[in-house]
Amino acid sequence: MNEVWTLAEQHNGQLKAVSFELLSRGRALADKLKVPLVSVLIGDGVDESRLRELIERGADKVYAVQDPKLSHFVCETYAKVLGRLIDEHKPSILLAAATSSGRTLMPYTAVKAHAGLTADCTELDIEEGTGNLLQTRPAIGGNIMATIKTPDHRPQMATVRPKSSRPLARDASRTGTITKIPLDETLLDQRVQVTGYRKDAEDFVNLEEADIVIAGGRGLKKAENFGMIRKLADTLGGAVGATREAVDRGWMGYPHQIGLSGKTISPKLYVGIGISGAIQHLAGIKTSELIVSINSDPDAALHKLADFGIVGDAFQVVPAIQKRLDQRKREDQ
Amino acid sequence: MKILIPIKQVPESSNVKMDPETGTVIRSGLESVVNPLDLYALETAIRLKESCGAELTAISMGPPQAMKVLKEAVAMGCDHGVLISDRKFGGADTWATSYTLSQAIRKLGDFDLIIAGERATDGDTAQVGPAIAAWLDVPVATYVSKISEVKDSRIYLERLVEEGYQMLSMPFPCLITVVKEIAVPRLPTLKGKIRSRDMEIPVFTSENMDLNPDFLGLKGSPTKVVRINTPKVTRSGKIVQAGDDESLNAAADEFVVFLEEKGIL
Amino acid sequence: MAPVSDTQYAPVTPKIAEELRGILGSGNVLVDEEKIEAYSHDETDAAEYGHMPEAVVFPLTAEQVAQVVKLANRERIPVTPRGAGSGLSGGAIPQLGGIVVSLEKMNRLLELDKENMVAVVEAGMVTNDLAQTVQDEGLFFAGYPMSLQTCVIGGNIAENAGGGKAVKYGVTGRYVLGLELVTPTGDIVNLGGKLSKDVSGYDLKSLVVGSEGTLGIVTKAIIKLIGYPAAKSDLLVLFKTPKEAIDLVPVILSKGLTPTSIEFMDQLSIITSCRYLNESLPYEKAGAMLLIELDGTNPDQIEMDLIDIGRLCEEKGAIEVYVAEDRNNIERIWNVRRNIAEAFKVFSPVQSLEDIVVPPSRIPEIIPELEKLGKKYRVQIPCYGHAGDGNLHATLVKDPDMSMEEWKKNEVQCLEELYEITEKLGGKISGEHGIGLKRKTFLKELIDPVELDLMKAIKRAWDPNNIMNPGKIFD
Repeated sequence: MNEVWTLAEQHNGQLKAVSFELLSRGRALADKLKVPLVSVLIGDGVDESRLRELIERGADKVYAVQDPKLSHFVCETYAKVLGRLIDEHKPSILLAAATSSGRTLMPYTAVKAHAGLTADCTELDIEEGTGNLLQTRPAIGGNIMATIKTPDHRPQMATVRPKSSRPLARDASRTGTITKIPLDETLLDQRVQVTGYRKDAEDFVNLEEADIVIAGGRGLKKAENFGMIRKLADTLGGAVGATREAVDRGWMGYPHQIGLSGKTISPKLYVGIGISGAIQHLAGIKTSELIVSINSDPDAALHKLADFGIVGDAFQVVPAIQKRLDQRKREDQ
Repeated sequence: MKILIPIKQVPESSNVKMDPETGTVIRSGLESVVNPLDLYALETAIRLKESCGAELTAISMGPPQAMKVLKEAVAMGCDHGVLISDRKFGGADTWATSYTLSQAIRKLGDFDLIIAGERATDGDTAQVGPAIAAWLDVPVATYVSKISEVKDSRIYLERLVEEGYQMLSMPFPCLITVVKEIAVPRLPTLKGKIRSRDMEIPVFTSENMDLNPDFLGLKGSPTKVVRINTPKVTRSGKIVQAGDDESLNAAADEFVVFLEEKGIL
Repeated sequence: MAPVSDTQYAPVTPKIAEELRGILGSGNVLVDEEKIEAYSHDETDAAEYGHMPEAVVFPLTAEQVAQVVKLANRERIPVTPRGAGSGLSGGAIPQLGGIVVSLEKMNRLLELDKENMVAVVEAGMVTNDLAQTVQDEGLFFAGYPMSLQTCVIGGNIAENAGGGKAVKYGVTGRYVLGLELVTPTGDIVNLGGKLSKDVSGYDLKSLVVGSEGTLGIVTKAIIKLIGYPAAKSDLLVLFKTPKEAIDLVPVILSKGLTPTSIEFMDQLSIITSCRYLNESLPYEKAGAMLLIELDGTNPDQIEMDLIDIGRLCEEKGAIEVYVAEDRNNIERIWNVRRNIAEAFKVFSPVQSLEDIVVPPSRIPEIIPELEKLGKKYRVQIPCYGHAGDGNLHATLVKDPDMSMEEWKKNEVQCLEELYEITEKLGGKISGEHGIGLKRKTFLKELIDPVELDLMKAIKRAWDPNNIMNPGKIFD
């Protein structure tokens, strides 16, 4: 049986946390199949000690193709580099994160490799007997779970939502090999040119990678009232989310939108404030570990999904919570 | 400039009801609509037509009823529609779907730009866009939030990614998928509606397309659904009231305790 | 003639409360001030109109209601019937204290007779629940207002509610075939039945409909249903002026085209709602908008009518005609109409929600008058509503900077003038919400005295002790 691969991601030479989350998924599969687990990195500037962390967090091998020309994600180039590696090593399983690049590279690669791909898996397992990968994903807004396999094509490809699994603890005693593969420049795609990044400090947020998300909805009534949501998020070290209606009304920017036409998140804690819980919004938060709802309407659908719900006026409840958290912080200092 | 817009008919999802006994979705009576995220692609294309001049063709793969979404695309401002429909295409996964769509695009001839929605709200995979680009071997930019410029057969874009907005450019022909941030879709007008009503929309089938029969439908799909189950909602939520001052303070206290118990604080 | 409410009323003593518990069981009687506070107001301003009851009872049967009313007659205690408390004229407020009879526990669908297309329901059934249940059977209860999420059948009947669909379907009363009523003296009577035709004597059922709970407590209703109109499409039409918009209404109706709704929005309403919603429609070009909805069982017919109406709009100079045929687009354009009130609430929560009704052709004449009134009394008066039947929500919105005293003074004067203008145009002061508490002083001044005397005579005949919702409509 061939190797299990997970795709590591980097930005500016730093490995992203999803790289380690994927390794904990891959480790379980590789152990069941009794095959090596490989972390594949395409990028630039990740130094030896950081590559070593991939091993300490579960990989048996690291294949690293690094070059300044790979510092930005360009789908066509990455797909060619990955395709070459697949041709050479013929892995049985390839996992990537359901990030903007993972969700682009994987379908592109699957077509080229004539492989099956399942998006946004929440559970991965190995089928008894056949050794096939069983990929489970939420469908129809998270209302059903579909289990999918790819019996006749290799590699079996899947993307996994960020934050849906915990990375393994770092184990310095683990051993493994790091193979550095030079870039074959004929694989570079000359058509796409990345010129840089723009970030709106005020309005930018990486919701999918946040551990805590505090979200507001129509119940907040106007843009200014998101101030108290921001404050609570700051205090808890979380990110600010919003419902479609709040975004449509211009109260928050689109990068904050959670739900069917926005982002799907799986944080440790989600707090929905003034959110009734339209089915499209619930689809985006169902895989959160803990759900809290604050809403004056006792019949709000979000209350029914919540681990903890407060039926009350958000404009009174949130400040009361804020006061306690501020007090607690002062006492800690 | 020739622009193609692949769109999908999906069940309208805002009124999805769950059977309280079985926990399954009640599918009956669900209306079919244009995938809401495809409306942003249509709007983007129409705006390009208005600013640079373009000929727009909406294409959709689906059952004969999907004609309806093509008519709506024309009512919004597209020039043509093409329906790709055949029983043999049924049950296709994203790999087989993108193959069939890419063959339809080849049949239509040269194009400059394909604009797709970020994903469909029913399948929710976001795979078909990039996969079409792979079949056609054209560059792809996903999650496009802004078109800055179209100049000398190149398109200058911004993509919404984890780090912020990635700025890039690529030459025609190419494919982009767009996010909601790019534009607010317009409503169809009466004039557009009347035009779409009278318009003949050609149908591409397995008969009049050049296709590898092994790549079609359920049979040609690498992925197979093994089983469907309904997740049990295991949350045993505690609901507290915060009406007067006393219960408000108690609720706030309890929330903090909840965060402590769960290791958040 | 002595005022009807000259009666001296008795309080609800602990002994009486005990007797009520005997009738209803102790769990169905509340006297605790904190718990009955919620029954002291409806959707009108609680501070201005609210009044505490002395007891609230939750009967489960008509017999229990009858016993409570008999007791009230014996002791001379005022009784106020209450549905969901979603009214906008103070009809469910126990203005003189006494007992509030809440029908909220009598909320069952007793029978769905598909053969006769009739539903038999208890008065406390949430209208939306009824609509949902019958829709699953392909049937439709056409006589419900727009606030369908919370309101109950009994309240719809008491107010003879209207709403957005009245152009085509009429108001609640059209769908009430029969009633079970507890009279103000505590008798149970059945009026009407599962009959489409009934001319056996006075049409007392119709008298009870819209009587605002002053002629008894409806406990049960026989409701007529029709086939569910599954096909639905909408037009949103932008006009340069209100006159252009309104002039179109008779043109459409006279061609035999019957939309379900013809909703009108003036410029102030449009701008406020669209800005609140961040709507990108070219609303700034529009001096008025019409939202026209068509429904029915035949999608092809709907499509043809839609195009015919749209073409009429274009011929009459509409700036743009938008078409919404799927649920997402229909939702989007209705959002503009539905969020007007909320958008103004964000701007200023203090408002007076009005529902004047004028002959539809006179709507353009009232718009400039509203503008003048708004300037004179320093209030904003958005005007929107059901153009198809002339029923307008000309809402008075307080300037956020205005003091409450000034607002109170201006509100009364402004309303007086508004109602006078309405009367002059051949209109009435309430098309939907009723007179209740809020408008009775205005009614007195504007109504034909003969008509008022007839109403009072009926009231005396039905309720000799004047204990049934006293102080409503007239004193």
